[in-house]
Amino acid sequence: MSSSSPTLGRILCTLGFLLLIHSSYSTYEHLSYLKVVEKVEKDLPLDVTIETLVSVAIFSIGIVLLASPLKEILMKTEMAKQTIEKIDTRPSFITFDHRGRILTPEE
Amino acid sequence: MSQFNFAKASATLQDLRKTGERKSALVVSLGETIITKGHANKLGDEVWSMYEQVFIAALDLRSNSLAKTCLEKLETRFPGSPRVKILQGMELEAEGKLDIAIELYKNILEEDETNVAATKRMIASSKAKGQWQEAIDSLSKYLDTYYNDTEAWLELSALYLQQHLYQQARFCLEEVILLQPQNHLYHLKYAEILYTSDNIALALREFCRVVELCDDYLRGLYGIKLCTQRLLNLETASNSSQQTSAKPPTSTSAVSPISGYDVKTLYDLNALATERILHAYSRQRESGDDLKVFIKEWLQVL
Repeated sequence: MSSSSPTLGRILCTLGFLLLIHSSYSTYEHLSYLKVVEKVEKDLPLDVTIETLVSVAIFSIGIVLLASPLKEILMKTEMAKQTIEKIDTRPSFITFDHRGRILTPEE
Repeated sequence: MSQFNFAKASATLQDLRKTGERKSALVVSLGETIITKGHANKLGDEVWSMYEQVFIAALDLRSNSLAKTCLEKLETRFPGSPRVKILQGMELEAEGKLDIAIELYKNILEEDETNVAATKRMIASSKAKGQWQEAIDSLSKYLDTYYNDTEAWLELSALYLQQHLYQQARFCLEEVILLQPQNHLYHLKYAEILYTSDNIALALREFCRVVELCDDYLRGLYGIKLCTQRLLNLETASNSSQQTSAKPPTSTSAVSPISGYDVKTLYDLNALATERILHAYSRQRESGDDLKVFIKEWLQVL
């Protein structure tokens, strides 16, 4: 499940995106049609509205599946995972006079 | 490796870059596979940080050919960059030519006085040469300007600890805690320095702070247990000496003149720490029962 969720998420996001593009283009077409016919209509046609809302719903589901696992909000839980090796390394000050240079064979 | 998961490898390398951990063997094995098997072009702009990371790890393990490959790629891409010159200096340091490296860093600093990396590498070179006093002096001078550099304060504290100057090391850790008060591991280090330099009462407060910031942190619980035990022993020792003198014995609810804590609090903390430690060990199912029995006995004796 966890490995197929990103691909399923990607498919749903693409689908939602296409539907959104299609509904926005339909709106544009509809408005230009109204200009030609010189009718004034307040609402969009029903099918375009439904298509927009459906695309938003599909997009939401896709994004939730696609997003990487969320991190905890409490700093406490994040800090509990820290180890001394991670916070006390001081990488700018490292020296090379240790046994690693003597014990490993030169390549 | 039969199955080389490129995505996992590059994610691991990225994590190690973020935390700054020094896992050179892992970095060299992953980096070597990525570079020699030609996966490097999949990384995009990240590849230069990866070359830098693999270069430093290769210096740690004396993989000179891998180090030279990485350095050449960086030199061709960024000719004359001070950051690449720092890496060249690190290579000289790794080969043992510390004086030439220090000359190189001095040149970089002459061109640009504010280059922090060059200052830090000069301090590291004095450290490698064994010139402790010089390293401490230059690091203190650096910290006068850049006083919010946690890494540098930690390094100064480590230098003082090597020379057993616990007062000064303690001061550096206090600065670190000012900068990052939420990190329980800095409080732990501070508490252990205090315990080593015999400030038991203050050490007890800091160990309690560690356990407050990170629930059931075993090292903090052990610290509480050791501190309360020592304070209680001091308490009973002073009580027995007072009984031989003409003074009446102090009641157990009075504040202890030595530690400033009342004895009941110390007993309660001791019992709480014991209980939490035993609880932590009872959760693990892998450890054998004889080990648990041994720990229980040791905790009673402690």
